[in-house]
Amino acid sequence: MTGSALQPYSRPPLEADRTPEARGLARDEVRLLVSTATEEVDRSFLDLPDLLRPGDLLVVNESATLPASLPASGPDGPFVLNLSTEFGPGLWLAEPRWSESRPGPLPLPDGTPVEVAGTRATVVARYPGIPRLAFLRFEAEVERLLADHGRPIRYGYLREEPPLAAYQTAFARVPGSVEMPSAGRPFSPRVLARLEARGVSLARVVLHCGVSSLEEGDDVTGAPPVLPEPYAVPSETVEAVARARRTGGRVVAVGTTVVRALATAEDGGALRASRGFTRRYVAPPATIGSVDGLLTGFHAARTTHLALLSAVAGEARIRRAYRRAAEAGYLWHEFGDVHLILPGTAPPG
Amino acid sequence: MTAGGGPRRAVVTGASRGLGAVIARVLADDGYELLLTARGAGPLEAVAAELRGRGATVTAVAGDVADPGLRARVGETVRQAGPLHVLVNNASELGPSPLPPLAQYPLPELDRVYRVNVFAPLAWVQELLEPLASANGLVVNVSSDAAVVGYPGWGGYGSSKAALDLLSKTLANELAPRGVSVVSVDPGDLRTAMHQAAFPGEDISDRPLPSVTVPFWQWLLHQEHGAVSGGRFRAQADRWEVVR
Repeated sequence: MTGSALQPYSRPPLEADRTPEARGLARDEVRLLVSTATEEVDRSFLDLPDLLRPGDLLVVNESATLPASLPASGPDGPFVLNLSTEFGPGLWLAEPRWSESRPGPLPLPDGTPVEVAGTRATVVARYPGIPRLAFLRFEAEVERLLADHGRPIRYGYLREEPPLAAYQTAFARVPGSVEMPSAGRPFSPRVLARLEARGVSLARVVLHCGVSSLEEGDDVTGAPPVLPEPYAVPSETVEAVARARRTGGRVVAVGTTVVRALATAEDGGALRASRGFTRRYVAPPATIGSVDGLLTGFHAARTTHLALLSAVAGEARIRRAYRRAAEAGYLWHEFGDVHLILPGTAPPG
Repeated sequence: MTAGGGPRRAVVTGASRGLGAVIARVLADDGYELLLTARGAGPLEAVAAELRGRGATVTAVAGDVADPGLRARVGETVRQAGPLHVLVNNASELGPSPLPPLAQYPLPELDRVYRVNVFAPLAWVQELLEPLASANGLVVNVSSDAAVVGYPGWGGYGSSKAALDLLSKTLANELAPRGVSVVSVDPGDLRTAMHQAAFPGEDISDRPLPSVTVPFWQWLLHQEHGAVSGGRFRAQADRWEVVR
């Protein structure tokens, strides 16, 4: 299945061009579309605890967002350097762009020295098959550079420039993502307290999101190139999933990153603790044994996210839910509304 | 990944073309001083010249990895230079082309396959152990999916790589107390001269160029060596998992 096969809506969706806070809402007051195998229901994110059952397990991504966009200049003048993924100390996969709104590739051959926020870095290699991306070696400490000069990577549909804090979820603990794992964003202390009171538990994984993939799928397999991203699934989470399974609870992934991390850590259907880098592409007909449900945002139609959603819930159901979401005015993208995909046909709560 | 001052050094065998040249280039761009070997002096010198043009310090020594004389010469040079951080045993012998089935495999040819793919990598580790130990170095043995699958025709090459995989795993355990790490890497199908020799006359243009493995090498070379030692990695797989 290619991304273009999933153009599900009759009208273009509304984009969230500001944070919920700028729209006069608390983080946890965004809309929630609940979809089961048979129907869609409009709720608020505040209703989440009532939609889950005692014994259910939410698996969240603890990755925190970095201010990964840096000012840079090269032989052809200034440009914007969006970091994507740290491969090792001082070595980053990055996306040089002409500007925030104008992507590359830039003419930066291997070996080109560039200046990044006043320090020196060198382009060491292009990413194979993706000319807009390159590996860069930094001479300065990148953590320091980001703290002093970095800004969150921002896309064209945003009308404001939210501060870094707007990009951190309640679960953010391990810095490393350059795009927010946004499904966790609506969680607030009051919702977490009500989830706990309800008997819903939490387990944690890490997957550091790199820059979005824009590349089209391969003509033969339909699989787009997926960039390698650091992930970790700890043994506590493997045990929590097993416990939920044993006691009849449902495992609900908070975000597509969590599905990818769990899918990566599955071997022959069995989940086991592991960490490293993943470029797992999750799409039908693959199924993910560790995941029953998914809480996620609304994503651009031509993305790997939609293929992943279809692997969780089936393409027809995702198509139907997206059509409904667009018609009902749900907001798309990282500061928009959210979508809870639950297994089975039982009408939610 | 190593801390401390002084240049980091790497030895790459079979560096004149294909995967070996790609690995050499990744190391050069990462600031390693390189000692490269391959049988073909001309192509080897061309790779060395290109990397020198990119600012790297490169010594090229032409010869056969199975030749004890070459090994001794390189060993001497490396020991004089100091610690060795990375040894890449990449040079490999495919065997006769087209690939013969095992029942008809000419044994003298199989002997050559094993000498290059099994005995030589071990001999290079033995030869370079002291400089590797003094750098807490990493040994990378280039393997193949033929080592695990049992493809018809690939029994000679594949069984030699299976032996190499077990050497790698055992060496990782034996050398851990010396601080030397050992991994085995299956690069996956690549559009290389060796792969073409395995499929003479066939179109292999659907296989990716060896540069497709660059992100994997960037990952592997920047892991803490002890965290990957004993691992067998597939460079084109969708998961690169640390061992511990």
